[in-house]
Amino acid sequence: MTQADRTKTERFVAHLEPLQRQLCVYCSRALNRRDESEDVLQSAVANAFRDFDKYAEGTNFKAWMYRYVTLEILNRNRASSRLTTSMGRYEPVHEPVLPLDSIRLETLLDAPEAVLDHCDDVVADCVRKLTEQERKILLLRAVGEFKYREIAEILDIPIGTVMGLLSRARNQLRTGLLDYGRDNGLLTEGDAT
Amino acid sequence: MNCHDAQRYWDLFHDSEGDADLHFQLNDHLENCAACAEWFHKQSRLELLIKERLAGDAAEDASAVDWSRILAGAGVAPAIQPPSWGTLGIVLVALAASILLMIGFAGGFRPGGSSNLAHLTAEVHQHVSAGSLRPEFESESDIEVDRYLVNRVSFPVRCPPRKDSGFAVRGAGLCQLSSQSAAYVVGSVDQQPVSIFVLPKESLKEFPELRQILQREPMTACREGNSEMVLSVFDNNLVLVIGNVERTKLTRVLKSYGTYPHAA
Repeated sequence: MTQADRTKTERFVAHLEPLQRQLCVYCSRALNRRDESEDVLQSAVANAFRDFDKYAEGTNFKAWMYRYVTLEILNRNRASSRLTTSMGRYEPVHEPVLPLDSIRLETLLDAPEAVLDHCDDVVADCVRKLTEQERKILLLRAVGEFKYREIAEILDIPIGTVMGLLSRARNQLRTGLLDYGRDNGLLTEGDAT
Repeated sequence: MNCHDAQRYWDLFHDSEGDADLHFQLNDHLENCAACAEWFHKQSRLELLIKERLAGDAAEDASAVDWSRILAGAGVAPAIQPPSWGTLGIVLVALAASILLMIGFAGGFRPGGSSNLAHLTAEVHQHVSAGSLRPEFESESDIEVDRYLVNRVSFPVRCPPRKDSGFAVRGAGLCQLSSQSAAYVVGSVDQQPVSIFVLPKESLKEFPELRQILQREPMTACREGNSEMVLSVFDNNLVLVIGNVERTKLTRVLKSYGTYPHAA
């Protein structure tokens, strides 16, 4: 290994290290199949490292790296959806977002722990039910803590789309929590104070 | 701005997006509409809890991932070299400096115990006010202070409040409160010294009593010695504002924290 190679490797690892944990969380949440996280990360890291010479030092490495991971997730999810749809005749139907039940939403807002303490899996399931784009936007904001402009750049979509889909995704999550709370008797109208 | 309009912009407010004028109008509305202020707080609290669940549940997966295998498989073999004497020297000096800093803030200034964050911050504030501790970076520009902190702290921070909240910034620095890293912004309200302390939200684990209080009351106030203090959790930060001025003025500064986008 030459001195230049060593320097490139050290620089790349130094940039990557602080992001490792959140990239794992992002992958785990964004993939249709969680067990593919390590493979996806490896492919994304390999591609990013190959192109690292093109990375301009001092610019936003985090957003640059997330772009590679996001692309790899997209490819992997496409492959797994093709596999799923080819096995059956059914396609996922994305229902329109209905207005939130305002009375129960008040109850949820008053005491969110009453529902959230019982349903880690529900949050994960609700995220998985979002469309691919909504899920990525929500996770880039919640896990990656990116600004709207950065999310738009990573996904190569207009900033207005980011805003609209993020709001929709948040609404969907709340609807999922309200449904779970209602079905399991955790939220009743009388709880609202 | 009416309540309907204000609630439409909740996402932007929560995410610190949108322009300064919008945030100014929203802040203005929230100060005059208790119902909306409460609604915004509850929405943000729910969003933070959802975010915690999203990260928390997947954290187990994250810790199970073997990064050395990923890096090796990706053709990235980190070059591990024995440290040179020069590097070793720098490490030792840094270690000694960290220990001294810990003694300074966590030991020498801490009669109230490590669990009392209010006490720790009040001590630092008094030293800053008395001039015995000078901020590492001095500037009256909120943009410069924002840039300074963003480049130096390992956790996300937001832009300091601007003059329209009554806060005139004077500088900023980093400190250690108990074992937690913190950023502080110093300035004044009505010519009186006011300090803002910003910690990562996760640091609340070290202050369980405070965590419980904030779960019950998202915006909490207390008195520490001669100083008033208000504190709350914003997005990823625990934020404390302390000074010898009226609590309502400190609350205005606290509410303004992070309502401006970072400088480009």
